[in-house]
Amino acid sequence: MIETVLAVVFLPFLGAALAPAAYRVFGEQTAYYAAGVAAVCLGLVWRLYAAGVGLQGGTRYAVEWVPSLGVSLALYVDGLALLIAFLASGVGVLVLVYSGGYMHGEPGQAKYYATMLAFMGSMLGVALAGDLFALFTFWELTSLSSFLLIGHYTSADDSQYAARKSMLITVAGGLFMLAGFLVLAWAGGTTLIAGEGSLVAQAGSTGEQLRTAGLFVPALLLVGVGAATKSAQVPFHVWLPNAMEAPTPVSAFLHSATMVKAGVYLLGRFRPFFLPAEAETLVPEWSVVVLSLGLLTMTVAAVLAVAATDIKELLAYSTASHLGLITAGFGAANGLGAETGAFHVLNHASFKAALFLVAGIVAHEAGTRKIEHLRGLRHDLPVTAVIAGLASLSMAGLPPFNGFYSKELLFEATYEVGHAAGGAAWVFPVVAVLGSVFTFLYSVKFLSLFLGDRPETLGHVHRPPAAMLAPAAVLAVAVAAISADPNGAIRLLVGDVYASTVAGEAHSFSVKFPTKLKPAVVMSAITIGVGALLWPQYDRLHRGVRRLLAGPARANWWYDNGVNGLTTAGRRFSEWAQTGLVRTYAAWTVATTAVLALGAYLVAAVSIPALTPAAGLTPAFVIVLAVAVVGAAAVTGAPSHIAGVLTLSILGFMVAIFYILADAPDLALTQLVVETLVLVLFLLVLNRLPAFYGEPSRLRAIRDGAVATLVGATVFVTVVVSTSASPAEPLSEVLVSRANLPPGEHGAFFTDYGGGSNVVNVILVDLRATDTMGEIAVVAMAALAVLTLIRMRERGETQ
Amino acid sequence: MPIIVVTALALLFQGHNRPGGGFIGAVLTATAAVLVYVTFGLDYLQGLLIGPPTADGSHGATEWYRWLFAGGLAVAAGSGIVPMAAGSGFLTQGVAFVHGLPLYGELEVASALAFDLGVYGTVVGGLLTIVSEVGSE
Repeated sequence: MIETVLAVVFLPFLGAALAPAAYRVFGEQTAYYAAGVAAVCLGLVWRLYAAGVGLQGGTRYAVEWVPSLGVSLALYVDGLALLIAFLASGVGVLVLVYSGGYMHGEPGQAKYYATMLAFMGSMLGVALAGDLFALFTFWELTSLSSFLLIGHYTSADDSQYAARKSMLITVAGGLFMLAGFLVLAWAGGTTLIAGEGSLVAQAGSTGEQLRTAGLFVPALLLVGVGAATKSAQVPFHVWLPNAMEAPTPVSAFLHSATMVKAGVYLLGRFRPFFLPAEAETLVPEWSVVVLSLGLLTMTVAAVLAVAATDIKELLAYSTASHLGLITAGFGAANGLGAETGAFHVLNHASFKAALFLVAGIVAHEAGTRKIEHLRGLRHDLPVTAVIAGLASLSMAGLPPFNGFYSKELLFEATYEVGHAAGGAAWVFPVVAVLGSVFTFLYSVKFLSLFLGDRPETLGHVHRPPAAMLAPAAVLAVAVAAISADPNGAIRLLVGDVYASTVAGEAHSFSVKFPTKLKPAVVMSAITIGVGALLWPQYDRLHRGVRRLLAGPARANWWYDNGVNGLTTAGRRFSEWAQTGLVRTYAAWTVATTAVLALGAYLVAAVSIPALTPAAGLTPAFVIVLAVAVVGAAAVTGAPSHIAGVLTLSILGFMVAIFYILADAPDLALTQLVVETLVLVLFLLVLNRLPAFYGEPSRLRAIRDGAVATLVGATVFVTVVVSTSASPAEPLSEVLVSRANLPPGEHGAFFTDYGGGSNVVNVILVDLRATDTMGEIAVVAMAALAVLTLIRMRERGETQ
Repeated sequence: MPIIVVTALALLFQGHNRPGGGFIGAVLTATAAVLVYVTFGLDYLQGLLIGPPTADGSHGATEWYRWLFAGGLAVAAGSGIVPMAAGSGFLTQGVAFVHGLPLYGELEVASALAFDLGVYGTVVGGLLTIVSEVGSE
């Protein structure tokens, strides 16, 4: 089975690598090649599903990656992973087929299909990742590939802005998540996410350790920021509407089955970790953060969707809103919440992908995406109208469509939280209803594009090609099928997702059409009733919300000003820090190194040993060192560069003599040779420098003096500290005892300790040979760098 | 210069058992070259090391140096990979003893010498590249 799991993750990347070649062969038909790759992935996921490896806590597969560091590529298959994998590959097939019609005659198709496949592969990787390393890697790959897709029209300013925005927000969130992962890995002592011996399996003890260290809430927030940025939760929802600059198939894929689903997937994945079975409070930290965030997003984004003027914009805000619903579900600390999240992931993917494909058909065939220009489309696009009807009624959460069941579960979950905790917790069900009212309103608005009379302004509307209509129809059939038999979908797939997101519970759940008056039914009735009452006022609401959205009330205002401010500040800082003078850089570099080193000694509480005159300090040592000191002093008073370099050499040669006296001929030789070479090189470049030093200002003299003193102090302390250690068995004795070949004992070939008698050289070429290898690589790199910098500087950007 | 180069080579070859080694030998060789450069100029040095300039006035010296340091790196890496083929770890060194050679009698052949030669080539090539590129500015 491990081959199958690996194939699911890596086949799309292979397909992406071959896409340019496929484009040469197939041309416009590359869409079907890409869809074929996706279909194979779907088949492989089906194989995993049919083999039952996702049942009862799932199965983990690991491939050794860096065994010496304990890093392996772990993949984990359970209900949640399979659901997301099904969505990514299944919607992937449909979206790629659709692309065959939509992208007809568009530029950059080879790049488009390659990136789409890579995007799908990244999402499959996220879904199946079994450890934090793999999860983070694939997570960032989704950001990267979506960046390329959103910026598909590379020359359009709006595309560039949208791509940059999504990248900036999601990657920044990913870094927060990485920090959270590091905390989790530290506390849990493992990077495995789920399964035996993993973070989730030992959630209790790891959570205790986090709490003791005061890091439970920070870790929760860090991981939460990652999920919130990816799933476009308030206030990070700003990137999602801009992402509609991408070609519509990308939007459909991104909004329904990939990328934004990664965020809610993360919440589902870590839900049993942050919400272990023995939760004590009714509203634990997890709920405070995730449930509030989800409900806030659900409501705010639904209100913003009402203010939208463009059909894709409406759908984009609606996505954020529904992701809020899923988030809220996962946030509720009861079983109903997990049911909501698990079920709505599937429901939302089915109706939202269908709606985006419908929006693409409308935009493609009617030539406009403006809501005000679109009405009565059912006359021209009858099949599309039926699809849109099914999907948007499901989105509105109307019975008996599938969206109704998951929304009903949310109502029950929030009601239960409010009822159990009382007091302020009643705000949860109230906000859930409020958000749903707006959801109802914009869903009906979308549907109304197909109703009513055809306006005069709408020109001729073409029939969509089969390649575009069929995928949308398939999704509509899926919506209808789930609506007809929600328990079937739960039994087949969603029940296992529930088991993945609730700690300690492995049973499934079921929904049923309400026949009795329950709180959730009342809440649904209020939603539909208020929605129906407000519907005639839609235009007034639309204008009202738009009026409110000016200046600081818009999250976008903060984003734009923040990014502009950072850019300006960055430019100012680089002007200040990067003066172009080597001495500035040198001063900063050495001073920082010195401060860091001294600070580290201070933090580590290193004690400086008392200085005692070393035994065996002969007069020869004293004379040599005295000459060195005189040389050093003379450097500061040298009247010219030549004199300075020569007096500096006195210091260097004295050090060499010191090495000879200390029985270190190898060091002395190196010191002598390097000193000579440096001296000669100095003499070479000296005629390029001014003959005399300028008159330094007092301020600069003080600053340079301070830096010099600091560096000197650091070196002094380092030498004293590092030479004071005296291990019980000095390494040198071992080496010296091995240095000479044992006479007669060895055969014709001898490998012990390199078989040499020069200890230094044996260390260099045998014991630490990898170091030496690295060092000569650095020498070669330095030479290459000189070559490139000097040879090629005339061929730079100026030409 | 010949004396310095002979000394450098002596340091290189005796390095395994007595003071010396690839790095010191290489830096000393480069020093010899730089001394010639300081005394007679870059063109003379290039002529001495590589031969008379070609028709277009360039020596192609850097190409030679580049080969030298790339080759040195390859030799060093190769000397690390060979023991792997023999079943030892990367960069394991050993000594073989050859008997009955004329003049020498017993000779000790250390595999570390190959690595040292690689170090030598890399450092000489690298330093001469830097000197000739910076010097021609």
